Amino acid sequence: MSKPTLLLIDDEERILRSLRMLFFIGYNVRTTTEPNEAIRILREEKVHVIVSDQRMPQMQGSELLRIARETSPATMRILLTGYSDLDASIASVNEGEVFRYLMKPWNVEEVKKVVAEAAAIAEASFAVQSHTETVADTTGAKPRVLIMDHDEATAHTVHETLGDRCEIVWASDAQHAMEELAKQDVSVVVSDLILGETNVGYILKTIKQLNPQTQCIVVTSFNDTSRLIELINQAQITRFLPKPVSKGILARNLESMLERFHLVRSQPVLQKRQAVEPISNPQERVQAGNFMGMLGRLRARIGA
Amino acid sequence: MHGQHTNGESIFSLVNPIEALSPELPLEEVALLFADARNAKLLSLPVVENGRPIGVISRYHFMNIYLKQYARELYGKRPLRGFINNTPLLVELDQPLTEAAQHVTANMQFPLTEDFIVTRHGRYLGIGFVMDLLKAMEVKMRANTTELEQAYSQLKSSQLALVQSEKMASLGQMVAGVAHEINTPLGYVQNNVAIGQELFSQMQGMLNTYEVLVGQLLDGDADEEQITAQLQIAAAMRNDMDAQEMLGEMNGLMADSLYGIEQISNLVLDLKNFSRMDAAANDLANLNDCIESALNIGRNVLKNKVEIVKDLGALPDIMCAPSQLNQVFLNLFTNAAQAMETQGTLYIKSWQDAESIHVSVSDNGKGIPPEIVSRIFDPFFTTKPVGEGTGLGLAITHQIIQQHGGDIQVESRVGEGTSFHINLPVGQHSTQPSAVIHAAIQE
Repeated sequence: MSKPTLLLIDDEERILRSLRMLFFIGYNVRTTTEPNEAIRILREEKVHVIVSDQRMPQMQGSELLRIARETSPATMRILLTGYSDLDASIASVNEGEVFRYLMKPWNVEEVKKVVAEAAAIAEASFAVQSHTETVADTTGAKPRVLIMDHDEATAHTVHETLGDRCEIVWASDAQHAMEELAKQDVSVVVSDLILGETNVGYILKTIKQLNPQTQCIVVTSFNDTSRLIELINQAQITRFLPKPVSKGILARNLESMLERFHLVRSQPVLQKRQAVEPISNPQERVQAGNFMGMLGRLRARIGA
Repeated sequence: MHGQHTNGESIFSLVNPIEALSPELPLEEVALLFADARNAKLLSLPVVENGRPIGVISRYHFMNIYLKQYARELYGKRPLRGFINNTPLLVELDQPLTEAAQHVTANMQFPLTEDFIVTRHGRYLGIGFVMDLLKAMEVKMRANTTELEQAYSQLKSSQLALVQSEKMASLGQMVAGVAHEINTPLGYVQNNVAIGQELFSQMQGMLNTYEVLVGQLLDGDADEEQITAQLQIAAAMRNDMDAQEMLGEMNGLMADSLYGIEQISNLVLDLKNFSRMDAAANDLANLNDCIESALNIGRNVLKNKVEIVKDLGALPDIMCAPSQLNQVFLNLFTNAAQAMETQGTLYIKSWQDAESIHVSVSDNGKGIPPEIVSRIFDPFFTTKPVGEGTGLGLAITHQIIQQHGGDIQVESRVGEGTSFHINLPVGQHSTQPSAVIHAAIQE
């Protein structure tokens, strides 16, 4: 089997030389400082993983990854940046739909592991892409939407947009959310980051571990870059919409995430594209463990 | 709030309920009243008719009449009415103390011969002593002064806190920017070292294999089979890895790493130069160096967005507070970058003439609307969203330049750009700018 292709883009050539050396044994490594050259390579060659810098003179990394998503959807997208600014991280979720958001300086073993994982997923994606047409599966159980946001405007928009096709659950607190999750998996989650007094990051992370098909939209006025990066890597949230969010934008994203859910359900390989990293925060790990445990007991009781 | 009385109370506390005289009272009885020891304190006596004050008779005026020869005989039986001052000083009970004092002091005569009459709704209430009124005013003034002093010291400490917070905000931004910039070289240096370590252990393995082989070859007793086996191991290793190529690559990475470490050192040096934490607050410095230092620190905000055109003329060193001037330039540069919607040019020029050093910082950003251009140096004036700007950046810039004995002017055209022009005197006076600023905040 031929080596997977890894495409590296950074305006600092020394970064490219260094990474090329790190990966040259297991990969066919392509490097460029020019985003347009990267787009050309993506168009002409089969690229498994693209790793891009964010800040470049000609183009932002998140923009390049958005183009990559259209040009070569099977390619796994990773952002590697030294700058943790909020706009860039929001764009990397909403436009780039990145698999991982990695920071410079990076941990060598972690980067190796992430790229290897991404390459394997890409290989599987290419295989599926080559012999099946993607048809969204709209059959099966009625999709469920879980709202974890005290904001009535959010709930209102969800009802208005998806009320005719989905069962909608508005959870008032973490306990309520858990009870609903125990009953049945959810298709789309619309959540703020704070629910009453609870920081719901761990719930989002647990939901994605529980069911990789679930698509998660975060709507919040709580703009914290490092927490957003964590949610990208550990919860694979698919949209991050800063409040106040217009009704039209939320509605549009709800539609596309429901569609995404159907697509992912019909093509299991797509689930892997949203595989998550283990939870890094020790406190959240404990909270997630408890959540899983209680959920398990609840499910057993309901099942019995 | 201290010393706060309601005004009615103040006038009320000044009222002395002196029995008023009837205008029909004969002068000889008035004489007895003035002679009475109980009235010794009174400068004048009120004259009231039907409850309303119609005048006063002062001791001074009365004496003038009554001490004349035969006055007692001539005027003793005459009624008081013909001798009074019928425009007495009147104060209404509910009049504010300050207003009453103004009225009394504006109309009183010297030497002081009369006190004032206090009325309530025009009716006689009593006599107020001018001296008491002045004393009451003095107490009130003193209280006001204390209040003013307190308000001033509160303002001063909040200004100090704000100046500090603006400094911290710009410092924080700057440190974050530079820290991020360090991440790139740190990224490849760290990666290169990790690769080097890995390669080192592979090389060690290879070297061990070769050494064993060489040992066997040199050892006359070694058997052929052993040597062949060892040779195969070595050949396989050589096949797996092109050591020469790897070492060549590694050599390149080592050079990159040294370059990266130099980059990091320069960034740390930039930070140090900018903050000048280890240098004297006041020093001989060159404004061009301040400009360069601010450009180095602001690179993170400016790069990829702003094309910088420098036209720096030769400048003499001046005595100044370099870290403060660094802050001034950084502030102007980052403002300029923020004024550019996409890309733009920042034009920095410095020159000198006989009296002054000049620096102009011009951008081709969106410009400042004429209605707000006069306010941009005002403290707390900001066009940024709440929470993003303190509105103190340009106010502090202005203050720093003024305290260096200089001047800063702005010219702007909407859609064309903004230009700041700074001039500082060449022969910097012996005053210590930083000490001046410090004192201005402390006082």
